[in-house]
Amino acid sequence: MILAALILILSTAMFFFYFQVTCQKILRRQFDREYFQSIVNANRLEFPSLRKSLEEFGAPVDYPRLRMMLKCDFLALTYLLKNAANVNQRYSNEERLLILYFRWQFLSLAVRRLLKVGEKKAVLRLTSVLQYFANVVGQRVNTVRFGNLTAADYLLNL
Amino acid sequence: MDGNIVGYALHYSGILIEAALILYVARSSHGNRPLSVLPYLSCLLAADLARAYTLREYGLTSRQYSYIYWSTDFLLVISAFFLVCLFFRRACLHQEKMWRFVRLLLAFICLLVVGISGLLFSHNYGNLLTGFIVEFNQNLYFTCLVLNTLLYLLLQQIDSADDQLGLLVCGVGIQFAGPAATLALFHLMTGEGFAQSLAHFTIPLCTIGMLLVWAYAVVHVKDTATQVTRRQIPVLAEVTAHFNIQV
Repeated sequence: MILAALILILSTAMFFFYFQVTCQKILRRQFDREYFQSIVNANRLEFPSLRKSLEEFGAPVDYPRLRMMLKCDFLALTYLLKNAANVNQRYSNEERLLILYFRWQFLSLAVRRLLKVGEKKAVLRLTSVLQYFANVVGQRVNTVRFGNLTAADYLLNL
Repeated sequence: MDGNIVGYALHYSGILIEAALILYVARSSHGNRPLSVLPYLSCLLAADLARAYTLREYGLTSRQYSYIYWSTDFLLVISAFFLVCLFFRRACLHQEKMWRFVRLLLAFICLLVVGISGLLFSHNYGNLLTGFIVEFNQNLYFTCLVLNTLLYLLLQQIDSADDQLGLLVCGVGIQFAGPAATLALFHLMTGEGFAQSLAHFTIPLCTIGMLLVWAYAVVHVKDTATQVTRRQIPVLAEVTAHFNIQV
């Protein structure tokens, strides 16, 4: 009985650990340039300023506002992921996994808020997911706009 | 009925993904294909096909299905251990000294698991199938989970740049940890309906999870383990050339 309980606790912890590590490895993917800036500017997303204030100033967080900012950015970006320059109009497997990860971290943020432990870490993880999504959308838009055009073709079409 | 349909859908989609991944890895001409996953994937596919066939022909409660289930489980556990050994080899590709130690450790662990399982089996003789094999499978399965976690820690310790291996290890972790937790819960709840249906869904879901993580690793992540080797050749060549010029 005790052994089974021990295996249950250890295995569940390991499962969530591996899930988190897998998501973080996917998030570490390098893009050839910072595509997210244009998407952030065009859609007035707030996560970069939020991350900057947390990283640089460690500013105290207004929790309800922070939650709202993250949620709005998440909704905007997931909509764009599905509909902007996406021929299949559906998420890829890694995007689904990261959406699940975002929801999991969002829940963990609420728990951390209650326990007052490591809120900043959870917020930074959430912003890194949003940045990844913005990079993917930016890259797709960029590919569609200039996909089949050479520089000369583009100038001729102006 | 709905639960059965979902269960079958998960099972057959797992088989399809396994077959697709085997084909992709075997036929791909890229340098980043991890051939080490092929034996385990092939065993997984063979086990799933054999189980599906026996289940359809003889039914869930038949003796034939029981034989096929436990013998394929034995095959899977052995190939999982072999897979973890191959991952250790890849992690220690440039550290021969460490590999010599790890190799001895892995052989010792394998012998230890056989010994412990034999000892436990000798206390209560039954038939070979439900006695030794079940005991051996459970022990080696949990050992693989622990070894996989040690491998992950080793990768962090040596600061490995092999991202593909890292993802492959995470996939194996999901495949081992999910079912281990579910089966422990099943054991704690003494086989209640909830635990049974949870086990029915989570085990194929974890397998699909592992396959998708592997697919991502194979398709999107470059194998940096071989790149490190390539990078070393010009350095040696440069030194030799310099030496020749000096001479």
